[in-house]
Amino acid sequence: MYLELIGAKLRTVKGNLRSAQGERHRGPLFIGLSVIFSVMLFRGSYWLVTQALAVQPIGELLVQKLVSLAFLIFLGMLLFSNIVSAFTTFYLADDMDFLMAQPVSWDALFASRYTEALVQSSWVIVLFGMPPFTALGYAMGASWSYYAMLLAVFLPFVAIPTGIASLACLLVTNMLIASRMRDTLGFLGMVALVILFYGIRALQPEKLFNPDSFDSLGEMVNLLSTPPSSYLPSDWAINVLSPMIFQQGSIDIWSLALLYTTPSALFFISAWCHRKMFYRGYTRVQEGRHGESVLTVLRDKLMQQSTQRGGGVTRRLEKLKEHAGETFGPMQQLIIKDRLIFTRDASQWSNMLVIVAMMIIYLVNFKYFEIASGTAFFGEVGLYYFNMAICGFVVVALSGRFLFPSVSIEGRSFWMMMQAPISLEQMLVGKWIGAMAPVIFVGQFVIWASNILISQNWGLTLLAATLVLIFSVCVAGISVGLGAVYPQFYNPNASSIAASFGAIIFMISSIILVLMSLFFSFRFVQHMTQVIKGTHDLELTMNMMIGLGIAIAMPTLAAYAAIRLGAASLRKRM
Amino acid sequence: MSHEPESAPDKPILTITGLRKLYGKFTAVDQVDLEVTPGQVFGILGPNGAGKTTSLRMITGLIKPTAGEIVIDGHPMSTSPLEAKRITGFIPDRPYVYDKLTAFEYLRFIAGLYKMDKAKAAERMLELLALFELAEWGDSLIEGFSHGMKQRLVFAGALLPNPKLLIVDEPMVGLDPKGHRLIKNLFVSLTKEEGMTILLSTHTLEVAEEVCDQIAIVNHGRIIARGTLSELRMASGEDQGSLEEVFLSITEQKEQERADAVARRFGQDGAAE
Repeated sequence: MYLELIGAKLRTVKGNLRSAQGERHRGPLFIGLSVIFSVMLFRGSYWLVTQALAVQPIGELLVQKLVSLAFLIFLGMLLFSNIVSAFTTFYLADDMDFLMAQPVSWDALFASRYTEALVQSSWVIVLFGMPPFTALGYAMGASWSYYAMLLAVFLPFVAIPTGIASLACLLVTNMLIASRMRDTLGFLGMVALVILFYGIRALQPEKLFNPDSFDSLGEMVNLLSTPPSSYLPSDWAINVLSPMIFQQGSIDIWSLALLYTTPSALFFISAWCHRKMFYRGYTRVQEGRHGESVLTVLRDKLMQQSTQRGGGVTRRLEKLKEHAGETFGPMQQLIIKDRLIFTRDASQWSNMLVIVAMMIIYLVNFKYFEIASGTAFFGEVGLYYFNMAICGFVVVALSGRFLFPSVSIEGRSFWMMMQAPISLEQMLVGKWIGAMAPVIFVGQFVIWASNILISQNWGLTLLAATLVLIFSVCVAGISVGLGAVYPQFYNPNASSIAASFGAIIFMISSIILVLMSLFFSFRFVQHMTQVIKGTHDLELTMNMMIGLGIAIAMPTLAAYAAIRLGAASLRKRM
Repeated sequence: MSHEPESAPDKPILTITGLRKLYGKFTAVDQVDLEVTPGQVFGILGPNGAGKTTSLRMITGLIKPTAGEIVIDGHPMSTSPLEAKRITGFIPDRPYVYDKLTAFEYLRFIAGLYKMDKAKAAERMLELLALFELAEWGDSLIEGFSHGMKQRLVFAGALLPNPKLLIVDEPMVGLDPKGHRLIKNLFVSLTKEEGMTILLSTHTLEVAEEVCDQIAIVNHGRIIARGTLSELRMASGEDQGSLEEVFLSITEQKEQERADAVARRFGQDGAAE
């Protein structure tokens, strides 16, 4: 039965690919972008490893710490994406109603959903996790056995978070009031991120590159040699790979055994718990928004205020009658509609909290990065650019999470847009303008706050803020446009749309675009920093102006093209 | 928002020529020609999978035809889609609407899409909320509505801009008997008193029999009969028969005829033309 369920899923994916009219370019585009991104990751990781090795006498210890950091970040990301995937595949998927009514055993249903959640949430991380680890092996001159063991470590490593996530979702659906489940899962994701933050902070990565920041060599070696905590899968992975990276010592069999027994144990424990508790949890999810908890009452109160703003329908209709001769504007109504739908969707609120947590994590860390900027490793200009790049990534992540799904979440109501007397371009521009403000706000908040934190020169802060403003406006447009190129009208979960195939294409292409824009603006910005500091006259060369022109024109044209492409793609689907 | 008719009363409000829709090799709609004159209820009947919904979706601009032309009140859908849509209302068979809006907000949104005058839109909203018994639900989120209430709200939304042509796919799905009566009376009054044209597809033959002035019967993507009920009776040889008997007689096929028609739709070689 398991094979039939998985087979049906595979055939559905195949059918979707086949029926996607005019999307033949999708596969090659994805492969092309993935190759570019993988090369960038490989080269960046290779550079980082060689730089770390050059820090004597602790180079190898430093590399080991960086690998720990990488595994820890992967673990956090896997936990977060598995929680989203598990909740969607086990409880919200369209075909669950059908399958629950069929004579399918709990075990077969569990195993197929488990596999689906595992694959759905891990493939991206495995795909883009490989280049950094391959670069590590290459930089360290590791033999083929390292690459074979890397694969053997990655497979169980990605399976552990699926076991934890499936159990977490089962507990949440059984213990909490149905209406709070999605919010709670959002919080669980946030908790995973906070744990990740503390894990990274405990490693103090910025200090590692600055040996002078330690009071003594003893303190430094002591920190680097601290045995990692043995209960984290990321440490088991590093224990197994270390001997092959550094070509000394033997594989830690205990860690390897833990890497394989833990996901197996989690699978069977989860399967056993699902036999007992899944039906109850599934039923509670179907019950929808009922209950009398304080939060539910509060939410209902807020909702009532929102729906009756302006005094209720009678009063509002009276008010409208006073505006004879004035017509409604389609763009304004599109923006109002999207805003109302967004603010009333409680599952979006918890995701907003995740964004706030990410911003705080970055800003707190930025202060630490300032310490590293004093070293030759990073430098002042490096920090300035690094900060702009990170702000660009924040804008891309935010747009990917909230704007990319904006066309998809129209869902089955999209017929109204298609039938209305407005063009699809107008509809997309409406979504772009409506959702641009929060992206601009977050981008500006992060760039201003980070620069103020390190007492940056006002002129330079303004310059950085202007570039980030251009990124914010353009990336918002690209996300709406590409969201229309790769819509998922039948996916009920915005979080999982934000992790879809098309969203990955958006993320990679936007990150590449931001980095290229920064690259082209480099000469101009570097010159302006010298002008602002008074060390140089304001004499702009043609090269600087051309570079700046390209840096601004590229994202602007990309946003325009994405909107046009999105509209054309929606028309093609008709 | 009322529309002064641009065309003379006898000039068709909807003209369809050579309409065709292919999905890969499958022919969903095959060479449909149709003319609908203003002020009448035109019914499209046919068995499941005959191509009714696909045809209506092409007329409303939701699906692009593979070939053929659709002209609504002088506006070709291919070159002037916005002008054509501005005078068309659509009611789909399933009322998917924005669950997180209230009924009032949904209607205001529709008024915005059609650039309606605010005061006139308010009056019309009041009228339609009362007509569809939704006045007391104006401030409630649509997610709390039953299927029938959502269907009535979609009716109100489609009628809000006072379209010249109303296209309805399966109007009675999800409505209770009181709703059935309301819709049937409404169709008659909209066409006879307000001059609106209604194009509807339905399985409910009783509705078609009661309200349709003209009927087209579709099978395997093609129109196989059209006319008034009495003309169809004549054509089918069921002179005294009900529409159900007429329909069954016209759509009845021998095994081989059906196999040939299916093969033709799937574009298989050797299919009978």
